[in-house]
Amino acid sequence: MNRLLNKSLKSFTIYALIVLAASVPAYLYLVDSIWLRELDEHNEIVADRTENELNKLQLSEIELNQSILLWNKIQPGTNLQKTTLEKNRKDSTYTVSRKNPYVTHQDIDRFRGLSRVIEINGEYYLLTVETNVEETEETVVAIAVLTFLFFLIMVVGFLILNKRLSVKLWQPFKNTLAKLKAFNLNSQSNISFEKSTILEFEELNVALNKLIEHTVSVYKSQKEFTENASHELQTPLAIIKNKLDILLQKEALTDRQYQIIEDINKALTRVSRINKNLLLLAKIENHQFDDSETINLSELTAECIEQLHEHFANKDLNLKSSIDEDCVVTGNKILIEILINNLLLNSIRHNIQKGTVEVRLSKSGFNISNSGSIALEKEQLFKRFKKTSDESSGSGLGLSIVEQICKRHQWTIAYEFHQETHTFKISF
Amino acid sequence: MKILIIEDENELADSISEYLSEENYLCEFARTFNQALEKIESFNYDCILLDIMLPDGNGMKILEELKKQNKQDGVIIISAKNALDDKIKGLQIGADDYLTKPFHLSELAARIYSVIRRKQFGNSNTVRQNELEIDLLAKTISVHNQPVILTKKEFDLLLYFVGNKNRVISKSTLAEHLSGDFADMLDNHDFVYAHIKNLKKKLSEAGCESYLKTVYGTGYKWEG
Repeated sequence: MNRLLNKSLKSFTIYALIVLAASVPAYLYLVDSIWLRELDEHNEIVADRTENELNKLQLSEIELNQSILLWNKIQPGTNLQKTTLEKNRKDSTYTVSRKNPYVTHQDIDRFRGLSRVIEINGEYYLLTVETNVEETEETVVAIAVLTFLFFLIMVVGFLILNKRLSVKLWQPFKNTLAKLKAFNLNSQSNISFEKSTILEFEELNVALNKLIEHTVSVYKSQKEFTENASHELQTPLAIIKNKLDILLQKEALTDRQYQIIEDINKALTRVSRINKNLLLLAKIENHQFDDSETINLSELTAECIEQLHEHFANKDLNLKSSIDEDCVVTGNKILIEILINNLLLNSIRHNIQKGTVEVRLSKSGFNISNSGSIALEKEQLFKRFKKTSDESSGSGLGLSIVEQICKRHQWTIAYEFHQETHTFKISF
Repeated sequence: MKILIIEDENELADSISEYLSEENYLCEFARTFNQALEKIESFNYDCILLDIMLPDGNGMKILEELKKQNKQDGVIIISAKNALDDKIKGLQIGADDYLTKPFHLSELAARIYSVIRRKQFGNSNTVRQNELEIDLLAKTISVHNQPVILTKKEFDLLLYFVGNKNRVISKSTLAEHLSGDFADMLDNHDFVYAHIKNLKKKLSEAGCESYLKTVYGTGYKWEG
């Protein structure tokens, strides 16, 4: 994953590289033209002075010729030649590269020249003045090196700034993010974001606050709905149940009528149970259970098994239990009892006749396995009302409750099917 | 025996009263918090059935009031809430029992029976039916003055029947009573049959008349 700032850094760096690279020819052009202009000026001054001084000397023709000869010999970079050109010919400037004859190694020098027709003692001479000028290649290299140096300084600067900015600039964002990560819809605590002076972050916080408030209120009302609905159902259920009890006392019921009442009763018990379980789930999710009790799980498990003893016997189940002594956990006793009972009951209900149930409790976890023939769907197993077996009784909430209770105690539960055996593993 | 039913749901109060009145209980009603307060101030009851969620007040306050007035009435809380806190709080304040809606009337009757016996007979709490004697405190029985050893479940069942004399009690009701919360999660209720069979056998072997009758195939009735 790329960091946002690194992404902008990359763009900035590329942009800087392009701009700086483009600046190299621009600088070159600028430096070169300044050079040449200055040198032209210099050459003109030299030419002016030469013309003036030579005229001032008022030399005779022979002296002049000798002087010019001498001049041409010792004055580097200038040359005087008689010419037939017109006096009012425009000055011409040129650039020429020439080999340096005074060094042994190959060295080409660049010269800027001016040729002008001057008049000395009424005669016309062509004066050429040449001045050494820095070669373009050397200028290019110098500018490029310098530019590259600046580029490096810039990149290093970017990196340092980036590092600092990412810490400082993104601090509010990171705060918000940390709070979001820690947020748990179930915990029912609202998030309050720190005020930010940065518009974008403040906008983000405001939007998130709104979203969370809405979510929390929807979540709350949904949970309240479950709880209220379950509560409201208790009374009519109680009325039906009681009326059936009274109906049962009426004389002259036929066996068939009795059976019908009994069937209604059974269905009613199931409805009551679903209702109770929904309420229980809502309560677990609403954190309405104190979970700071210290519980001796070894004793509790043994008690639960004892209570269901006759039901194991009823189905001829072979119960193997290995319970380590003094396994102590912290949690809610009622919930943990429900957890164990639900798992035990499942192991009885979904067992085969004369099957096996194995209960293992150690300090690290609780395992329960029972014989079975087909593996259950792991994804559906803990979902509400997802019946994973074709058996019709049961509330369809037992394992959801088991999962919720595990979650509540920060335990993990896993299901496995191996060698015709269903196993539920809880790790503390 | 006078029973006060503090319950705002008329249908429920009527059913309870109908079931109990056949048992020689005299039922009175209080539909609201204030009515209930008036009644408990003016009269004494053997047992009060208290719904703690009343439209105009919390039933817990009535319980507190009873204790303040030092009344000895037995109190059974009947609540739509299965909240453990309420249960503990209610029992701490002085309720004798706690029953969560929905419940079977036979369950309620059995509990009322126990509460009243406990309240009124204190230390020598024995029930006698001809040759059968039940010591509710020691949880033992004897037939023709000879002790009969019952399991906890069998004793429990016997008491349930005695608390619901001449009533038809279905197998599923007994299953709920015996297995508590998870009766419906068990595939069959044969375990009820097993317990009853044992109970009947023990009683008849000790020479007890067969008061426990089977009706409609799977229902039971204790005659007495």
